[in-house]
Amino acid sequence: MADSALPAPGTIGGAIDVTPHHKAPGTFLETLHSWVVTVDHKKLGIMYVLYALVFLLVGGVEALCIRIQLGRPENHFLSPEVYNRFFTMHGTTMVFLMGMPMLVGFMNYLVPLMIGARDMAFPRLNAFSFWMTAFGGLMLYYSFIGGSGLYAAGNAPDVGWFAYAPLTARAFSPGHSTDYWTVSLLVSGVGTIGAAVNVIATVFCMRCKGMTMMRLPLFAWLSVVTSALILMAIPPLTAAQVMLMIDRYLGGHFFDTLAGGSALMWMHFFWIFGHPEVYILVMPAFAVANEVIPVFSRKPIFGYPAMVAASVGIAFVSLGVWAHHMFTVGMTSVGNAFFALSTMIVGIPTGIKIFNWLATMWGGKIRFATPMLYMTAFLFQFLMAGLTGIMLSVAPWNWQLHNSYFVVAHFHYVLVGAILFALMGGICYWYPKVTGRMLDEKLGKWGFWLLVIGFHMTFDFMHIPGLLGMPRQIYTYEAGRGWDTWNLIVSIGAFVQAAAVLLFAYNLLVSYFRGEVAGNDPWDAWTLEWATSSPPPEYNFVADPVVTSRRPLWDMKHPEDPDWKYE
Amino acid sequence: MSEQENHGHHSDSIHLPAPTTWPVVLAFGLALIFLGIVTNPAISILGGVLTVFGTVGWFRDVLPHERHVDVEVEVMDLNIRSTRERVARMELDKPGRYAPTETYPIVSGIKGGIAGGFAMIIPAMIYGLIAQHSIWYPINLMGGAGIANWTDTSTANIAAFHWQGLIAASVIHAITCLLVGLLYGAMLPMLPRHPIVLGGILAPVLWTGLLHAVMNIVNPVFDQRIQWGWFLISQVTFGLVAGWVVAHQSRISANRNLPLAVRMGIESPGLMQHDHDEKSEDRH
Amino acid sequence: MSAIPIPVHQVDQPAEWTQPYKGRVGMYCLIAAESAIFAIFVVAYVFYLGKSMYGPTPGQVLEVPIFNTICLLSSSITIWLAEHALEHNRIKRFGAFWAVTIVLGSIFMIGTGMEWNKLIYHDGLTITTNVFGTTYYSLVGLHASHVIVGLLMLLAVLVFTLMGHMKEEHAERVKTLALYWHFVDAIWVVVFTVVYVIGR
Ligand SMILES: [Cu+2]
Repeated sequence: MADSALPAPGTIGGAIDVTPHHKAPGTFLETLHSWVVTVDHKKLGIMYVLYALVFLLVGGVEALCIRIQLGRPENHFLSPEVYNRFFTMHGTTMVFLMGMPMLVGFMNYLVPLMIGARDMAFPRLNAFSFWMTAFGGLMLYYSFIGGSGLYAAGNAPDVGWFAYAPLTARAFSPGHSTDYWTVSLLVSGVGTIGAAVNVIATVFCMRCKGMTMMRLPLFAWLSVVTSALILMAIPPLTAAQVMLMIDRYLGGHFFDTLAGGSALMWMHFFWIFGHPEVYILVMPAFAVANEVIPVFSRKPIFGYPAMVAASVGIAFVSLGVWAHHMFTVGMTSVGNAFFALSTMIVGIPTGIKIFNWLATMWGGKIRFATPMLYMTAFLFQFLMAGLTGIMLSVAPWNWQLHNSYFVVAHFHYVLVGAILFALMGGICYWYPKVTGRMLDEKLGKWGFWLLVIGFHMTFDFMHIPGLLGMPRQIYTYEAGRGWDTWNLIVSIGAFVQAAAVLLFAYNLLVSYFRGEVAGNDPWDAWTLEWATSSPPPEYNFVADPVVTSRRPLWDMKHPEDPDWKYE
Repeated sequence: MSEQENHGHHSDSIHLPAPTTWPVVLAFGLALIFLGIVTNPAISILGGVLTVFGTVGWFRDVLPHERHVDVEVEVMDLNIRSTRERVARMELDKPGRYAPTETYPIVSGIKGGIAGGFAMIIPAMIYGLIAQHSIWYPINLMGGAGIANWTDTSTANIAAFHWQGLIAASVIHAITCLLVGLLYGAMLPMLPRHPIVLGGILAPVLWTGLLHAVMNIVNPVFDQRIQWGWFLISQVTFGLVAGWVVAHQSRISANRNLPLAVRMGIESPGLMQHDHDEKSEDRH
Repeated sequence: MSAIPIPVHQVDQPAEWTQPYKGRVGMYCLIAAESAIFAIFVVAYVFYLGKSMYGPTPGQVLEVPIFNTICLLSSSITIWLAEHALEHNRIKRFGAFWAVTIVLGSIFMIGTGMEWNKLIYHDGLTITTNVFGTTYYSLVGLHASHVIVGLLMLLAVLVFTLMGHMKEEHAERVKTLALYWHFVDAIWVVVFTVVYVIGR
């Protein structure tokens, strides 16, 4: 380690890299090679996020096609077969190829920086995990060309993202399209589990001196909780998929009702994975909010221990609520009551979090830069999504609306309104750190407001056809059921959102070349990643940081009034 | 927003894990094994070969020692400063501006709820005796709401004794009274002047009106059997007794001017200072 | 105000800054994930007990593999003795116990192979026969595949030992591997209880 001289006020000895970079930029092939063989958590993090953004666009195009198809009654923009493939691929893509890689990318890039480490605990495993995820996604999309199905060559999976039995049995899904779904998710699941193991080991074993668990930035804390949830939730899916493979390839009878198997078990196994998955996706959104909201409110996060406790609480409760996706299956009334109540209990820790964020903002000097705008929208929309969630947790209400567009609207409110907004806000917040350039604030604000308008047009109005009885995954519908206008508005909103996402992507691209130079700490923030240069050198910190409170940079900026005095 | 100055120049060298091809080879091999399952076994075999290569290569990377590269760096001291040099503290309003300085403890609401719950039994029993000649009638009516299979039943059946009805009614009654008491206690600071008038009469009337309006939709069968006049009398009895009990509890000083975190005993930087306890602070 | 000179490092730090060994934490995480997979397969096995429409049933064909179980469970003891020996830098003793562990694990695998051989060719129970066959072979097979992976890794360590590369400083890594072996043994206790005690 660099031995520091007598530290001056707020100085980290030998912490900034001024090595002259004489190396000429390599050829394209050299650069490519350096990215393929890298074990650097930052490069891998960037690759994860870029990979996710590409699939955000791909999944978005699928969503647009679905919306064109549903925009008018009795439309035939897509054939029924293609429509089935598109909604299956849209769901699978957004959850497994966009959501999870994006959040793993965030954790990968940020956790070591935030805890003052040079890299992840297992850098090679990290590279391996990324490539597993990447190859899994490519394999899934290869099915569009290579998957042989009922209708000859080129058949993507078309059994819905939850792939209910017995539709997935050999008799009903001939060919290999369903197997593509299974094996590619198996492969990417291995990658995700590897990443989760890595994050936990990193946080437990690689913290810099003085970074006790109660001084850990909340982002890192929630990364640990997310990873623990991944370890609990992905394996059941893997197990169920192995069973499905055994059924389809070896002639097993797990889900074969004729031989005494049970299609219901697939639902249980799938949702034992499927519900915690929602929290795997939303935890990183919370994590981003936990970092961004305090910085832009110029106040420390309110109720740090309560935040940690609530996160752990949500993780635990979320493992015991899966059958609220199965109220219409016909459970005992005890089962219904248990899963309705356990689902409602999730509202308590979630409420604690929302109040903590509000209390952080309360009385603060709030600056509505683009990241903070995204966070504000996130807070509001997440609250709305939670409220419809509680409505759906009431079993009789659920009987009425199960598998209707109300449910679709509800979970898109969570996935887009909360998670996508928070992650986009996070990208805006950390973009200067990653690239060394500021995003264009004007373009960013335009993109944000466009997204807000498009989002509310789409998903607010999507609740209504659901209440009017429109089922999900439906190919088309007759005119005059009262669904027409709503569906048209929803479809138009989808295009507004697409424009917003394109604007966002354009902003990322343009600012990379033309953005204002950011400097190390453009937001005047408090966590360790802002103590190194932007973009950080491959070793992150020249000298191992030493921290004395939850906001190490605050302590350095305000030595007359440091946080550690209050611990 | 902030400026950072560098000085204290010197140089150093850093160990970093060396870049390696083997993870991507191993991942590709494993993926090919799986791809072979859905395409052609030959691809699985190729994947298997790559997997073996990847595994062996990986082992040789980390055994007996993990491969490192040394990065030579020249470094300077990093000086971190904020342009926001002023730290502002949140000035709290004078106590009593938004809320009373004294209030009843929440537990007084629960006590009121318990007392009201017992008092409420009396008009309900009287109603049962006068209108239906059975004290079991109101009990079964309440308990029946909790027993799902009591959909269509005769008045005589409701007036008879059912132990399930009694248990269900007692549980529902006790829980509801406790919860309403808790709610009452929590709301008390909002109705400081006349707790008995507001909580004892106005709230039950509003509550009864609300129920009367929606019960027809929620449970029409149940709605037909409720005598709303008697219902109102029971509710008002509850409210009056609960209010009276609360009004006779001793007041405590409201400490809601302290931040919640302080009241919860949570230590949180920036929220409290050791030298002035009753102040929350904020920094900009 | 940041002009007031206060050195950053002045606050008392814990003199010792120790964090857990990362390999161990990683292995515990892996074990948690594996446990979740096994939990699903065990639940499936229990749920499908007696759901088969036609025979053979567990009671008719399964025999309790006492000898196998004793071998596998005692391998947990020998691997622990090996770990212990390595910590005290007694490499020969380490190698001996490590080899015994591998032998015990192999006996278990041979026993499982013989059992399956009997089930398939004598009792006519395959994975396609009935629900019992499906769940039995997948649960026991899942465990057996973990034993095989464990044996391969144990073998790799044995090769390193025989080549004279094993040193006391590798104790942490070896203990991490041993942790995996203990986990495989513990899972066998669960599988054994479910399949041969409760399910028969
Ligand atoms: Cu759910």
